[in-house]
Amino acid sequence: MGGLQKKKYERGSVTNYITRNKARKKLRLSLPDFRRLCILKGIYPHEPKHKKKVNKGSTAPRTFYLIKDIRFLLHEPIVGKFRDYKVFVRKLKKAYGKTEWSAVERLRENKPTYKLDHIIKERYPSFIDALRDIDDALCMCFLFSTFARTGKCHVQTIQLCRRLTVEWMNYVVAARALRKVFISIKGIYYQAEVMGQLITWLVPYQFSHDHPTDVDYRVMATFTELYTTLLGFINFRLYHSLNLLYPPKKLSALSASLARMVSSAEEEEAQLDQFPVEGEDMEKLEAREREQKEQEAQKKLFDGLKFFLNREVPRESLAFVIRCFGGEVSWDKSVCIGSTYEVTEETITHHIVDRPNASTQYINRYYIQPQWVYDCINAKIVLPVEDYFLGVTLPPHLSPFVEEKEGDYMPPEKVKIMALQRGEKPEQEDEEEEDEDEDEEEEEDDNDDEEEDEEEDEEESEEKNLKKMEKQRSQGKSLQVKVTPGKMKVENPERLEQEEKAEEKRLAIMMMKKKEKYLYDKIMFGKKRKIREANKLTAKRKAHDDAEKANKKKTRK
Amino acid sequence: MAAARRLKRVVASQPGFLNFKSSSESLSGRRKRVNKNKKKSWNKHSDINDVEEFLEDVRLQERTTGGLLAEKSDDSLFFLDVGQPKRAERKAEPIEGKKRKGKTPRPLRIDLILQQDSLIPAPKDVLAYQQPNAKKLRRISQKAEQLAAKGVVTRRQKRLLSRRPVTKEAKKSDTEANNNPNRDYYDIWGQEQSTVKDSAEDWYLQQTGKKRVKRPEKLSDRPSVLPAVEVIAPGGSYNPDFFSHQALLKEAHEVEVKKQKEEDKLERQLAVNKDDTATEETVIREQVEGLVEEEEEEDEEEAAHDEEDEDAEGGSSLAKKKTERQRKREKADKIKELRRLDSKRQMDHRQQLFQLRSIKASIKQQEQSTEDKQKIRKANQEAEKSQPRRLGKLKFQAQDLEVQLSDELAGSLRQLKPEGSVLKDRFKSLQKRNLIEPRERAKFKRRHKLKYVEKRAFRAIT
Repeated sequence: MGGLQKKKYERGSVTNYITRNKARKKLRLSLPDFRRLCILKGIYPHEPKHKKKVNKGSTAPRTFYLIKDIRFLLHEPIVGKFRDYKVFVRKLKKAYGKTEWSAVERLRENKPTYKLDHIIKERYPSFIDALRDIDDALCMCFLFSTFARTGKCHVQTIQLCRRLTVEWMNYVVAARALRKVFISIKGIYYQAEVMGQLITWLVPYQFSHDHPTDVDYRVMATFTELYTTLLGFINFRLYHSLNLLYPPKKLSALSASLARMVSSAEEEEAQLDQFPVEGEDMEKLEAREREQKEQEAQKKLFDGLKFFLNREVPRESLAFVIRCFGGEVSWDKSVCIGSTYEVTEETITHHIVDRPNASTQYINRYYIQPQWVYDCINAKIVLPVEDYFLGVTLPPHLSPFVEEKEGDYMPPEKVKIMALQRGEKPEQEDEEEEDEDEDEEEEEDDNDDEEEDEEEDEEESEEKNLKKMEKQRSQGKSLQVKVTPGKMKVENPERLEQEEKAEEKRLAIMMMKKKEKYLYDKIMFGKKRKIREANKLTAKRKAHDDAEKANKKKTRK
Repeated sequence: MAAARRLKRVVASQPGFLNFKSSSESLSGRRKRVNKNKKKSWNKHSDINDVEEFLEDVRLQERTTGGLLAEKSDDSLFFLDVGQPKRAERKAEPIEGKKRKGKTPRPLRIDLILQQDSLIPAPKDVLAYQQPNAKKLRRISQKAEQLAAKGVVTRRQKRLLSRRPVTKEAKKSDTEANNNPNRDYYDIWGQEQSTVKDSAEDWYLQQTGKKRVKRPEKLSDRPSVLPAVEVIAPGGSYNPDFFSHQALLKEAHEVEVKKQKEEDKLERQLAVNKDDTATEETVIREQVEGLVEEEEEEDEEEAAHDEEDEDAEGGSSLAKKKTERQRKREKADKIKELRRLDSKRQMDHRQQLFQLRSIKASIKQQEQSTEDKQKIRKANQEAEKSQPRRLGKLKFQAQDLEVQLSDELAGSLRQLKPEGSVLKDRFKSLQKRNLIEPRERAKFKRRHKLKYVEKRAFRAIT
């Protein structure tokens, strides 16, 4: 028949996609160049929904790109630079082959180079966009700065990465932006808050170096190229936001403070005005104020404390972290440049050692293990030093990135820390209890622990009272159940309120429809199950601790 | 020949020598006359051995003792032997040879051989000290000193000083490269206010082809919802809490169990039952099947009978032509059938009115099931967004969990042994977030097959 016949694969989703090789041929680039271009411009392959259609009936696994993206790539000026580089390589090879050394020199001097500034401006039109993508950039730069300076990747890239990472760390120190630190077996995770964005990055350990062979170094190097440019611009902007000189001088030791552009000696501690945002209650305002106050307090965590780092502790990480919170830090002169004071300085308050015993003991300073610093930062308060003395088994290093909800299992160390945060000192009570229990029977100790565990599930405001009662019980005194009318009257209105609320809740539950009741039951079941599991875990932990105690006693005897 | 003649001459000049010809010829006294005017003939016919000997002797004396022995004093040549104690001698000798244990090593023999052992010093090489224009150079330097003392700068010096020093510029390619460690950065986001676009300027840029092409908006979407940095579980701390560590170990354990299960499955599928292997017995039985008739004859006959009966009942019915009657009957049957179906359908329609409720119920059920399926599909889609997509030939291989076993856990930061490689982790994270396609190291493929040829020697042996 005549007329227009529709051919297959000429319309629809097929026309939106193009295979990798076709795209490469359209751009007239070699495959590594094409890959580099895609990485730099931020163009990623797509997986179409109906692969068979797009692949014109075959199911061979192919890489697809959107045609619009590839057409956009055609207008990129860097493509010309890639082609120039190809021509340069060809000419250079010829000159080498003909042993024309003057030609080689001349060509080398006029090697074609390109800059990525316009790409950064195009991909991240505003500063906040760039800040959102900085996680990846930081990880890459830190990773490359730990590489050895062999010929595998350009030494200049490694140097540039080193410079940028040091600049970034100094910015974080100056802005006191660090919030969380976590030491893992992979590396050290940091989290900082910059301009309202939470930025997490991972720093590998300095001494771990296995170069895996199945990683494509060219791809990583291209990413790093892009990210170094990005990070440099971000650093510039951040430094200017703090009125600091950029590029800063003499930074590699991380012990000097940055020079200020405008010599303003006062720090800006202006009280924040009360901006009543529309629709916000007083409660929320107060909550925010409290948070801000806490943050301010956290920023001055190590104010006034002087630290000294021994040789075997990770110097860079500790120096960075201590200075972020206002402390002063120094190390031995022979380790690295930039040490401000020596071991013999008498005003040192904390000496960080990682060996089982210290050589010479000075009196007015604490000798502690490095985990104390990190735990203090995560707990946002200065923890008691006794648990971290040399030779003591350390408490476990908990992850600050885990947020436990109600009813989840919380390790007892975390409970302790939270109690400390609230200003109590339950460890003293625990110590007393332990001393007494060693003389008395152990049953009461078990009881106390059980009751402690139960409290974790109940409201924590009642912990105080109950603990007092336990102490009295363990000391063999009878509970003083006095009927003091005054006390009862004070408790009454609160109690009544709570009872009323509970009754209302019960009524509401009774009035629910069957379907809703069914859903509600399901939810509560889930919650209760969590609580039960948490209980189980605490019981297990208790059993474990008891077993350890028993072992300790055995070894002692 | 000349040497032989010389020898004869020497021998002949010995005192008690009796010449063969001498007695007869010495009386006559006839000797051939030789001309000794020229150097050559003089050298040939004169004998200076005695002078040479004497001179050699003198030279030997001078070399070894530094002067003629006749001119030396008595004390330097002779000494009075009084009989020295022997202990000192013994002490002197062994010390010299063996004392050098720890201090300077013995000098090499070749050095000793090559040293000067004559007491006469070698003559000075005058040529080494000669400089043809020494006087001229001396004069020039003196003049320059005088001028410098006065403070006068000559024209030549002035020109040298005024010449610009050679400053080796850093290569342009290095300074402008993107990874120059000392590169400058500027405020790239700062000029946002300054770009005031005129419409005229816009048009101009567009027409001349200098306008930047706009970036498509879809490119600003992230290809994956996963965060850039995923923090490891709390069990991955260097000093973990007991339960979180156990949880992490459990996860790793489950992964391993899965792998093990798959391997077991494969093995089971490939497993061969030992009983099924062919033994000699079974092979023989197979070959002999059907050939042994004794026992099986009766069974065969019975079997044959049964088959025949069945065949007889079946009967081959040849197809006969259909008669008219049959055709009419068939038509009537068909019409009846159609009518029946029609009435049934009408009945169904009418009855459906009474079945409304159940119909509603069934519709509701169907809707419910479609809704559920939709929800599940949507949930799957959402889950897929966080999965790495298949972007190429290779599938994404998640990396192993980084876990340290309980006995590998270090008690202190100093003894910590890092686990896993951050480089690999970053690479895998890029693949997981669909930024690059999963890639493998390129294998070395040979274009032409290798040929192995034996050496000739070996070919002879084997």
